[in-house]
Amino acid sequence: MLNQRSKYLQIAFNRSLDEVKGMIAMLPVSEKIIIEAGTPLIKQYGKSGITALKDWWEEKLQKPGYIVADLKCMDRGTTEVQAVAEAGASAATCLGLAPIETINEFIRECEKAGIDSMVDMMNVEFPFEILQKLKKLPTVVVLHRGVDENEKNREKQIPLDQIHRIKGTYGKVLISVAGGETTREVVRTFFNDSDIAVIWRSFYEAPKNTAQLAQDFLKLVK
Amino acid sequence: MQLQNNKNKFNPFSLVIIVLFIAFSINPIFGGVLIVAIIFFLVKNPKSLTTYFSNYLQMTSKLQENLTENNSDIFKELNTNTQPIIPANIFNVLSKKVRLEKRKKYLHIALNSTLEEAGDIISQLPVSDRILIEAGTPLIKIYGTEAISRIKALAPAGTYIVADNKCTDLAAREVEMMANAGANASTCLGVAPIETIDSFIEECQKFNIDSMVDMMNVENALSVLKKLKKLPDVVMLHRGVDETEFSAEKQIPFYQIKQIKGNYDVLVAVAGGDTIREAQRAIFNDADIVVVWKNFYQSSNDTAKLAESFLQEIK
Repeated sequence: MLNQRSKYLQIAFNRSLDEVKGMIAMLPVSEKIIIEAGTPLIKQYGKSGITALKDWWEEKLQKPGYIVADLKCMDRGTTEVQAVAEAGASAATCLGLAPIETINEFIRECEKAGIDSMVDMMNVEFPFEILQKLKKLPTVVVLHRGVDENEKNREKQIPLDQIHRIKGTYGKVLISVAGGETTREVVRTFFNDSDIAVIWRSFYEAPKNTAQLAQDFLKLVK
Repeated sequence: MQLQNNKNKFNPFSLVIIVLFIAFSINPIFGGVLIVAIIFFLVKNPKSLTTYFSNYLQMTSKLQENLTENNSDIFKELNTNTQPIIPANIFNVLSKKVRLEKRKKYLHIALNSTLEEAGDIISQLPVSDRILIEAGTPLIKIYGTEAISRIKALAPAGTYIVADNKCTDLAAREVEMMANAGANASTCLGVAPIETIDSFIEECQKFNIDSMVDMMNVENALSVLKKLKKLPDVVMLHRGVDETEFSAEKQIPFYQIKQIKGNYDVLVAVAGGDTIREAQRAIFNDADIVVVWKNFYQSSNDTAKLAESFLQEIK
């Protein structure tokens, strides 16, 4: 499971499995890198996609790695969590936009299955309001800008100022920030006290650069 | 047994061939004219051909089931290994054009458990163009796009297939995937960023499939619709399963149906519970599509009954 003190780089994979295999091979070996099976990848390949990622990453690391299944669960938390836990994921995501009942059920089911729960706050204006309503806290809160949003509407920003507030109020949760792509942006999110930085675009367009970024990152957090 | 029954049934295709034969024996020119007429008729009404083939496909799938019941092990293996995708794929071209019509009332059946059970349910359903079959979100997330192509293969050819992918981001990629897998419609969440819904609707039009916006956990569907650049084909009013289980006092906002239909030219789908009376209530409140799932999720026994009484009672 995730260590509270450590910083992590999460890399999201959304392409076809053949390409993903090559990309994973390019990554540096480190436990601080988290592999994410993106939503489109899960919807295309299902459980088998997650298992494939897990196997490749395990082969590379020579021990079980950390795999996030980006389920973006909206309903029927139970069924979906059980399925991805079976497939070998170490964490699953749920939408902060989902009904509170679903998020509660999702977090409970994650604990039961022994995996980490992540709540994705995409398009949620005040993540606080949602955290307050929950019976139990998730392991990780993801602050997130959607890709479609990013492309069409540049003035919206990731609310980095929220990180401190959430951590101040709920000490235990880890914060993950999705959206930054360059080394500078990743540094900025860590500077603002986030625990996990999620990247995907640069990897999508130039896998080699991201391998470089991953190496830079590892040097930085040592 | 099944095979014989089917042979005794009235078969339009063999009748056409016999008539052609007689026409040719009377006068070859007359026969030629008749062939041209038949081709013309088929081009004008491609659906008549589809129903014929759907009957045929159902017959073959029933036959396969009978075989599996009799000698279990070998045929089970055969069943899992050889997917009957090939015959259905031929009709992908035809059925991609199937879109919803404004004046009809539809029954939308969501399949959420496993592909085996999905096959079981589909085989019991009556054949009708007013029945939509949905590959539910859990199915898509567990089996991937294969779930859609498998369901499409299991269902009678030309059946309208909905991919409930509940898109929240990267709309372009997801719509493309679902359309290529053979879906006739794809869903997007109403709570997703407006940019995503806009690009989702645009992509759906590009791939010639229907766009459905799922208003789950949206308080006021109208305020979302107002912000969109283009309208979706279907607006879905929806209560989540988890919500329904844990807080029963929340209700489907039936009054919103008239509001939406009064202001916008869209079809409205409602998750209508699991009895025929609830379905009737939704239709009475002016919904165009009734979504049912609970019954189907638990057992496939009452499936055919509900579907049949829906077809009979709601025209």
